[in-house]
Amino acid sequence: MQRIVEAYIGEYNSGKSEVAINRALDLLNEDRKVTLVDLDIVEPFYTLRPLKKELEKRGLTILAWETQDTMGLGEAGNIIKPEMKWALRREGDVILDIGYGVEGAKTLNLVEEKEKNPELRIYAVLNIGRPITSEEEDIIEYVKSLGPVNGLINNSHLGNETDVEFIQEGARIIGSAAEKLGLPIIATTIDYRLAEKVGPQDCLGNPIRLLYRYMDRSFW
Amino acid sequence: MADKPIKGEKRFFVTGNEVVAWAALAADVDIMYGYPITPQNEIMHYWTRLAPKYGRKFLQTEDEISAGFTTCGGVFSGARAFTATAGPGNTLMQEPMSMAEMMRIPAVFVITQRGGPSTATVIYSQQEVTLTCFGGNGEGMRIVYSPGSHQDLYDYTIKAFNTAWKYRFPTFVLGDGYQAKMRESVIMYDPEERGVQMEPTEKIVGKEGMPGVDREPAHLRNTYNTEEELNVVVNELVDAFWKAAPEIVEHQEFNCEDADIVIVAHGVVTRAAQAAVKELRDQGKKVGHFRPITLRPYPIEAMKKAIAQAKEIILVESAEGQLDKLVKAELYGSKVPITPYFRPGMGITSEEIVEFINKKG
Amino acid sequence: MALAPNMPKAWRAETKPHKFCPGCGHGLVLKAVGECIDELGIQDRIVFGCDIGCSLLSWDFFNTDAIQTHHGRTTPVLTGVKRARPDRICIAYMGDGGGYAIGSQHLVNAASRNEKVTVILVNNCNYGMTGGQMAPTTLPGMKTETSPYGRDVEATGNPTQGPEMVSAITPEGAYVARGTTANLRQLKKMIKKALETQLNGTGFSFVEALSACPTNWRTNAKDTWNFVEKEMTQYFKVGELKVPGEKEGK
Repeated sequence: MQRIVEAYIGEYNSGKSEVAINRALDLLNEDRKVTLVDLDIVEPFYTLRPLKKELEKRGLTILAWETQDTMGLGEAGNIIKPEMKWALRREGDVILDIGYGVEGAKTLNLVEEKEKNPELRIYAVLNIGRPITSEEEDIIEYVKSLGPVNGLINNSHLGNETDVEFIQEGARIIGSAAEKLGLPIIATTIDYRLAEKVGPQDCLGNPIRLLYRYMDRSFW
Repeated sequence: MADKPIKGEKRFFVTGNEVVAWAALAADVDIMYGYPITPQNEIMHYWTRLAPKYGRKFLQTEDEISAGFTTCGGVFSGARAFTATAGPGNTLMQEPMSMAEMMRIPAVFVITQRGGPSTATVIYSQQEVTLTCFGGNGEGMRIVYSPGSHQDLYDYTIKAFNTAWKYRFPTFVLGDGYQAKMRESVIMYDPEERGVQMEPTEKIVGKEGMPGVDREPAHLRNTYNTEEELNVVVNELVDAFWKAAPEIVEHQEFNCEDADIVIVAHGVVTRAAQAAVKELRDQGKKVGHFRPITLRPYPIEAMKKAIAQAKEIILVESAEGQLDKLVKAELYGSKVPITPYFRPGMGITSEEIVEFINKKG
Repeated sequence: MALAPNMPKAWRAETKPHKFCPGCGHGLVLKAVGECIDELGIQDRIVFGCDIGCSLLSWDFFNTDAIQTHHGRTTPVLTGVKRARPDRICIAYMGDGGGYAIGSQHLVNAASRNEKVTVILVNNCNYGMTGGQMAPTTLPGMKTETSPYGRDVEATGNPTQGPEMVSAITPEGAYVARGTTANLRQLKKMIKKALETQLNGTGFSFVEALSACPTNWRTNAKDTWNFVEKEMTQYFKVGELKVPGEKEGK
């Protein structure tokens, strides 16, 4: 069985962690062995750390610091746990949540032995609800600045003010940018509560991934 | 993106820190001075990325004392200038903020409150109320807005520059670490589209013409020789402040008209207070909420009206009595008892407010 | 966990393994410091001060007394200790932000007054703990969170030459050096000489250590070492700048 190795990158607050967690849990539900890696290293307020125990109970392996191990030191504690560097040596699927940063996908440099894992796919998570990725030209410029990218995820939403039309608009705008970039849209994400308003595909025929919200409980 | 950072108006999904950066851009702010400190770093991160695209400037200074003084310098030159800090940085910045008080410098300071005292936590608190309102060696002649939502952060960051330049007092946007990092949707707009004219700035130094010939030189100072001299100066400051106060004070109130219990809270805690009022009203309890939006000057007239028939005030804050002290000073003489609900450094939920009020009976 | 045989005895076992990022230079510098403390036999006299930032993680590193201070204030706090209790051996441990930005006035003044404390400054060209902002020693063109388009020296100046400055302003009797985690043996010699300077009471001692931050540099192992050994040394020369009793050669 071909293993799945995916890195989710993108702008600050674009939804990388939520997409990564859901992807990991989807794969787990297919009876696959999955490791989820928290590489949020700039100023991690919303990170996987507070959710670690809960997700581990469900059967995921999480490579992240436990909040109380990094707290109490008066600072954000953006430190890497050594095992994160060797995440690709783990058996089974590996989902990497790559935090934001001025150098985009370069955070992946911190993960060792990428050359030995040609199945690694790097996906840029985009939300047209974010000011600097709300229009096609900006999206194209932004994705180009990230370095090597294999596909885009339409994670367009406005939090509690999201409606299906907005998500479909995201698919259209990101889709147009994707065409010009020569990249596929891997999926469009949608909150599970809106699922019945959309089918299994978005208006452009991209697969839908349902999202269950975890990150709102992950504040620090 | 061309010359205007925000055209028209549009809804976006952003964190509080980003809202501040975008609002400053929309408000035609010329320059930001700053020093890294959690949890306001993204204000700088976004400003440094976006500012060059709109011809705005940035300087990372060597520390917060410098950030405050360079901001004062920028303002003296006629620029719309601001800085942002938190916690220990706020403590350090009191020196330049005091200078701004004395010299009526219209500088804008964004504070993202974190735990205190000292380094404490980088996360959240409401423990910088006293510092922001009354810090330094002055009389608290400062204008302090306490936003409670991202929309507030956007609206009041823009407003801060106008208030500062119109009334010539240092103006503060008192946020906190939760709001700084929380993700919400907000409508960002071009102020002009909403009929908001940005208050023009003035070259306090560097006006046109030869000093001494075409115009008087600007001789600025903050030092005086005798007690009498100083007393006159401070009285003038105080008079100007209170004269402007009625135009500046802002508040919100929820269900106070017939309330037996009025919850007083500010900043992000207003969310929990508002939700608690809804829940308690559903339970048949007569509870209301008074929310000061300006902590300085405090909306005391409005508050007195709101609590006129109240039997009790519950004062809820993520600090050990900082808002409480401020309110008590303003309310002196009132017969309404004030019950504290203090959680220094911790977030407060509507559930716990409801439980507290129900337990009290 | 007990100390491994090659760990300095001054290290505190209960706080090992430490939490510094893999590839971080702090672990190496603190090993050199620990070995010096062992060899000089001064563990019970040490007062160790750490700053805010990644140096914060060193506060319970040793079995010595330690004070975590405010950002940039490690030097003055330890100066205060030393002035009141000269028998204490004071080590002020900080990063390039704590030393050359917010702490620079304290560094300059402690150096000028020849305070008998030892400052060890770990230079990794960025503010690590807060997420990689520009620091005084950020290299020209280097991208950081507050220099997203690369450091523009026209606008922000050149990387701070700390030991050079300290050497220029310290009186006779001070020890000033710049070492690197890429040559730990040499760095350890420098730290030892610095502590001996304090033990002999001749003056201020200062060692800057070029160090790695692969996390914020986003570099793999090979590129990390390359940066420390080749890139950083183009701006920061390794060597002793001032040695008590020796004439400063130029």
